[in-house]
Amino acid sequence: MRLGMIFGWLCFIVGAYFGVMLLAYGLGFWFEGLGAGGSHFAAILCCMLICVMITATLLTMAERKWGGFFQDRTGPNRARLPGLPNAVLGGLPHIIGDVVKMLTKEAFSPERANKYLFKLAPMLAFAPVFALFAIVPAGPTLAMTAADGTVRQVMMVAANPDFGLLYIFGIASFAVYGTSLAGWSSNNKFALLGGVRASSQLISYEVALGLSLVGMMIAFSTVQLAGPTGMVESQGQYIWSTTFGSFDVGLQGWGIFLQPVGFLLFFAAAFAETKRAPFDAPEGESEIVGYFLEYSGMQFGLFMISEFVEVVVLGGVIVAIFFGGYHLGVGDLWLQNLAFMKAHPVLLGGLYGLVFWLKVVVLIYVQLVIRWSFPRFRYDQVQTLGWKILLPMGLINLFVTGALILWDPTLHTLALVGLLEIGVVIFLTVTPPRQVRREAEEAGHGHGHGGHDDHGHAAPALPSAGTH
Amino acid sequence: MSTMTHGKAEGPKQLIEQDVRERAYIPELIKGLAITTRHFFRNLFGERDTNPQVVDRTGTSLITTICYPEEKVPYPVGYRGLHRLVPREDGKPRCVACYMCATICPAQCIYIEAGEYGADDDAAESRVIEKFPKQFVIDELRCIVCGLCVDACPKDAIRMDTEMHTPSEYTRQNFVYDIPKLLRGAPVTHPSDPWFKRGSSEQPDHVHKEAHTRIGEGNTSRLLANNVEIDTSKPVAVTKFIK
Repeated sequence: MRLGMIFGWLCFIVGAYFGVMLLAYGLGFWFEGLGAGGSHFAAILCCMLICVMITATLLTMAERKWGGFFQDRTGPNRARLPGLPNAVLGGLPHIIGDVVKMLTKEAFSPERANKYLFKLAPMLAFAPVFALFAIVPAGPTLAMTAADGTVRQVMMVAANPDFGLLYIFGIASFAVYGTSLAGWSSNNKFALLGGVRASSQLISYEVALGLSLVGMMIAFSTVQLAGPTGMVESQGQYIWSTTFGSFDVGLQGWGIFLQPVGFLLFFAAAFAETKRAPFDAPEGESEIVGYFLEYSGMQFGLFMISEFVEVVVLGGVIVAIFFGGYHLGVGDLWLQNLAFMKAHPVLLGGLYGLVFWLKVVVLIYVQLVIRWSFPRFRYDQVQTLGWKILLPMGLINLFVTGALILWDPTLHTLALVGLLEIGVVIFLTVTPPRQVRREAEEAGHGHGHGGHDDHGHAAPALPSAGTH
Repeated sequence: MSTMTHGKAEGPKQLIEQDVRERAYIPELIKGLAITTRHFFRNLFGERDTNPQVVDRTGTSLITTICYPEEKVPYPVGYRGLHRLVPREDGKPRCVACYMCATICPAQCIYIEAGEYGADDDAAESRVIEKFPKQFVIDELRCIVCGLCVDACPKDAIRMDTEMHTPSEYTRQNFVYDIPKLLRGAPVTHPSDPWFKRGSSEQPDHVHKEAHTRIGEGNTSRLLANNVEIDTSKPVAVTKFIK
C-alpha cells in the first residue's frame, strides 16, 4: 500500500519531468522554425519557468516533509483539499494554504524604513538567483530535420554566452545586494546584523567559489557550459572505455572524478552563498531572526522562494559542472546511435532532459540532508572555513591540477588522482578510528565481558568498559 | 580489573586521540549524512506504528509522532482531569459546603456559597447535614490541576476522575463551571455517610471505619477527655448528630 503509493509518486515525478522535457524539445523545434535561436525561448519557458519554479515550489513542502522524516516526525499532514477529507497527499495541500496566506497578508513596512529600497530588496534577492539557471543546459543540442528538409539546431539552454561560468560568478554575487539592502533598509538592528553577516559571508566565499572551478576550466579549456565545446559535452567524453557489443561502458570525464576536491570546495562555497543551514548565520532564527525580519506577506515569500530556487539552481549548476550534466555515464553512444532515437530526436532530448532533472533531484536531496543534519556554524567558524581552509585548499588544488594537466594533457593522470582522492575519502569513512580499533582489540583480548551497547548505528559494537 | 577507562558509562564514545578521520572532517560528515539518510528512508518506506505507547513501538518507521485528534494517548490510571461534583442517591451533590477545598486551593479557583438547612426543613438530610452549597463554582482557567481539593474533601464530594481535560470554549466565562456543569457521574454512597447513622447511639456505628467520618467525632471525644470546656450554647456540627 505505502510502497505502491511511493512508487506511484516516483513514476509521477519521472513522468512529469519527461513530459516537460518532451514539450521543451517540441516547442524548441517549433520556435526554431519561427526564427533562429527560438529554442532558447523554449528553454526559458519549459526549463526555467516550469521545471525550476515548480520544483522550487514543491521544495517548500519537501523541506518540511522530508525534514520531518529526517528527524523521526511525520511532517505537515493537517491540510486537506476540499472534498478529500482523508487524503494527506504528502502534505501538498499545505502549499495552497501557504500561497493564499502569503498573498493575502498585509505587506507591512516599518515607518522609518527606506520605502524604495525596502520594496526593491526582495526583487533584488530573487531575480539573480532565478537568472543563474540561464546558462545551465538541461539537455543536449539536437539537430532535428523539419518536414521541408532544413535542419534546426535545438539548444536546451536559455543563453550560451562566451563568458559562461563568469556569468555564474557575477550573477551569484549580485544576489547579496538584495540581502544586505533588505537588512539595511528595514531600519532594524537585527535585520542589519543579518545583512552585514550575509555580505561578509559572501566576501569570504566568493574567492573560494571562483578558485574551485578554475581546475575544471583548465581541464576542459573552456568556461562555457553548453554548446558543442562546452563543459557538459566535454564531460561526456570517455577517459577509459570499452564496449560490449554496441553498448559502451567506461569512465566519463565527469567533474567529480577529475576534480573531487574542486567539487567539495565548490559545494561548500556555493552552499554558503545560498545562506542555508549550516551556513545560515545571516538568518540565524534563534539569535537574530535575520535580514528579512521586518518583511511580511509575499515580500517575505519572495525571500523564501528565492532560497528554494537557489537550491534547485545550485543543484543544476553542480550537475552541469561536476556530474556530467545530462549524460548517462554509460551507454551514451549506444543510446544516441539507436535507429529509433535517430528517428525521434525529441524522445532522445526528453530522455536526456529527464536524466538531468533526476540528477538535480538527487543533488537537492543531498542539500536537504545537509541542511537537516548539521548544526549552524558559529560566525567565526564560517569565516575560518572560508579564509583558512577553503581558500588554501583551492589554491593547492589549482596548482596540482595545473601541474597534472601540463604533464598529461589527456586527463588520464588527473582522473587517476581524482579517483585516488575519492578512494581515500571512502576508506577513511568506512574504517573506524584507530582508538576505537585498538580498544576493541584490547577488549577482545581481555576478560571478554563486552556488553555490546546498541546505541551507535554506524560505529562498530564496542564494549562499554575496557580493561587496563 | 579497573573501572572505566574513558568517558562515561553510557552515551556516545568520546575519542581522546585526534584521528585523521576527524581532522579531515569530510569522513565524519559523510557518516552523519548516512545516519540521517537511514532515518529518512526508514521513515519514508516504513509503515508508521500508531501504538500510543511510543516506547513500545516496533515498526520499521522510527516516527514517534502521535497525530493527536485521530490518535490519542490513553490517560494513565489516576489521571487528574476535569473536576466533577459527586452526586448522592437523590441527585444532589455530596458536598456539605465545608470550604476545605476552597481553602486549600492554591490557585483560589473554587468559590462556594453555603446554604443552611433550616430546623424545620423536612428534607431527609436536614437532620444529619447542616449545610449545602448554594453555589459551587470552579474557574477552570485558574485551576492548576494539583488535585489538593480532592485530597482535602472530607465527604468524597469532589473528584477529578473524569478522564478528560477541560474542553475548549469560545469565551472565558464558559470555563467557569457551576453546579449543573460539575455535577455528574454515578451516585456514590458510603456506609459512613451521616444519614446512615443511628439516631439513638452515643457513638456513630462506623467510628473507626472511615477516616472522613472520624475527623469530627474523634475531635470531640479528645476534647472531652482533656476536660476542655465546650461552649454548648453554640451548635457544634458533630455533637448535634450524636444526640
